Amino acid sequence: MSAATQFYIISLLVFAAVDLLAAYGLNLQFGVAGLLSFAFILFQSAGAYAASVTSLGPDTANGGFQHYILGSTLPFPLPLVCAALAGALLALPIGLVTLRRLRSDYQAIALLVMSIIATDLVTNDQHLLNGAAGLSLIPAPLQNRLALTQVGYQWLFVLFCIVVTAACYLVMRRLTKAPLGRAMRAMRDNEQAALSLGKNVVWLRIITFAVGGAMAGLSGGLLVEFVGAWAPSGWLYPETFVLFTAIIIGGTGNDVGVLAGVLLVPVVIAEATQFLPSIGRPGLIAALQWILIGVLLIVFLWLRPQGIFPERKRRFPSAEELSRGVPRRRLSIGASAALNGRQGAPRG
Amino acid sequence: MARSFGGVNALAGATFDVPAGSITGLIGPNGAGKSTMIGVIAGAIRPQSGRVAFFGTDITGWAPHRVAQQGLIRTYQLSSEFGKMTVLENLLVAAPGQRGESVRGALLGRRYWWPEEADLISQARDVLARFGMSDKEDEYAANLSGGQKRLVEIMRGLMAQPKLLLLDEPLAGVNPTLARQILNYLSALRDAGVTIVMAEHDLGAVGRVCEPVVVMARGSVLASGSLTTLRARKEVQDAYFIG
Repeated sequence: MSAATQFYIISLLVFAAVDLLAAYGLNLQFGVAGLLSFAFILFQSAGAYAASVTSLGPDTANGGFQHYILGSTLPFPLPLVCAALAGALLALPIGLVTLRRLRSDYQAIALLVMSIIATDLVTNDQHLLNGAAGLSLIPAPLQNRLALTQVGYQWLFVLFCIVVTAACYLVMRRLTKAPLGRAMRAMRDNEQAALSLGKNVVWLRIITFAVGGAMAGLSGGLLVEFVGAWAPSGWLYPETFVLFTAIIIGGTGNDVGVLAGVLLVPVVIAEATQFLPSIGRPGLIAALQWILIGVLLIVFLWLRPQGIFPERKRRFPSAEELSRGVPRRRLSIGASAALNGRQGAPRG
Repeated sequence: MARSFGGVNALAGATFDVPAGSITGLIGPNGAGKSTMIGVIAGAIRPQSGRVAFFGTDITGWAPHRVAQQGLIRTYQLSSEFGKMTVLENLLVAAPGQRGESVRGALLGRRYWWPEEADLISQARDVLARFGMSDKEDEYAANLSGGQKRLVEIMRGLMAQPKLLLLDEPLAGVNPTLARQILNYLSALRDAGVTIVMAEHDLGAVGRVCEPVVVMARGSVLASGSLTTLRARKEVQDAYFIG
């Protein structure tokens, strides 16, 4: 396999893992908790910038050609930890400012506007995060410490992305399979009723934004460590809707659906079209991509709003099964752990 | 208690006591302020003046979830089921203070919260059986009939372990057989020590289970007592029975 082909496959796999990580974060916010997180790309962007400035060093480095705040050189994996933290912390302003007193459709508008304001702010303030030019020369972590070829290093990075995404997925699943996830879904289905049953919906939202935000932030960190550059043009508000389209088409609230949606929308549609022979004016295919994504979204919302893989119904073990304990495989999701572990408790 | 919306005085000095262990009926013509009163008691609506005391605690202006955590559980006039959750899940989610509902508890995993969950499942199934809804356990709540949704709401209220149930027209849109059943359940609940307040238009139903009955009109309390004595009073007849 030629180096170019390998690099292409590597890129696809990294993008897929990063998109999947972000999509699971968005699915937690939108699919499970019902929050119209129209500023979602900000979480990813915050993570990307956080990982950048904490690995680039002070902005006098590289001849001082780019200006940014908080420049430092933290050892691996601290920049990624900062990326996740930045995403999680962004949940506080977003959760507290926009979500306390607004109805959900207004929340969505407020978040969309926040996303646009953030782009304008970062683009126009040259000294915050180097303005429209963005940050570049972001070092790949540990590359000079590991005695690997360029391609070998990149395959290792692919593996790392997959491991991180899988680990985050497992943590998120613990939350959503627990009664906590049930409370989130109750908030999604009827916020007033959840409130009047004693659920603290403000707190639930902040948790949801923080956990989903941390996942998106981490995805931004991984992405920037792979591509080495980050600029406002990469996180314009339409990017949020690519992820929304992915999880809506795949199936909101269904983990397999999210995987399918991510493979279909950001990966296949965005990448496969690169191989089409150029037709018409330059940029036509890129524009058609956006049109295709929009049309797909509308078609699905119209004809199959539950997505390719609808959210699964949760069934619980029967009374006899509860009393005597049953093999794991007999139970469907929601009660998939069996009771036949030690002390009669299920495996976690 | 006072609360106005724009120029409308939805509540204008209404005041009443709910005796512990009673089913207190709240009646009155449309626009009398019954639902506003329920909203104010449950913390959904902030009163402009007045005070809500619940078993000696002043809960005026508390956030709705804190009021609920005290054991004061309300239902809604329009059904408010969790539609994309099964009936059993609707009941389970209502249980207060679950171990697996905190981030820490959820992260500790199934081993930590499952024993409690298994108990709750059994409890919820008992409630379902009592209301004759066992066969609907795995049905999405959105697919139920109007009457069944009302039942889910009452059952959910029970799972929340209420000290006081605040029911906003629990019999609206319910067929007479089911309505009678609901009234029987409510009486049984009262006998088990749960205090109930119900706003209701069906005076026959109110007469059967409610004692005392509070009559509201134009945002204040006109009279209270047993329905038979109230029926005899002229101002009550004028405001309510005649209109």
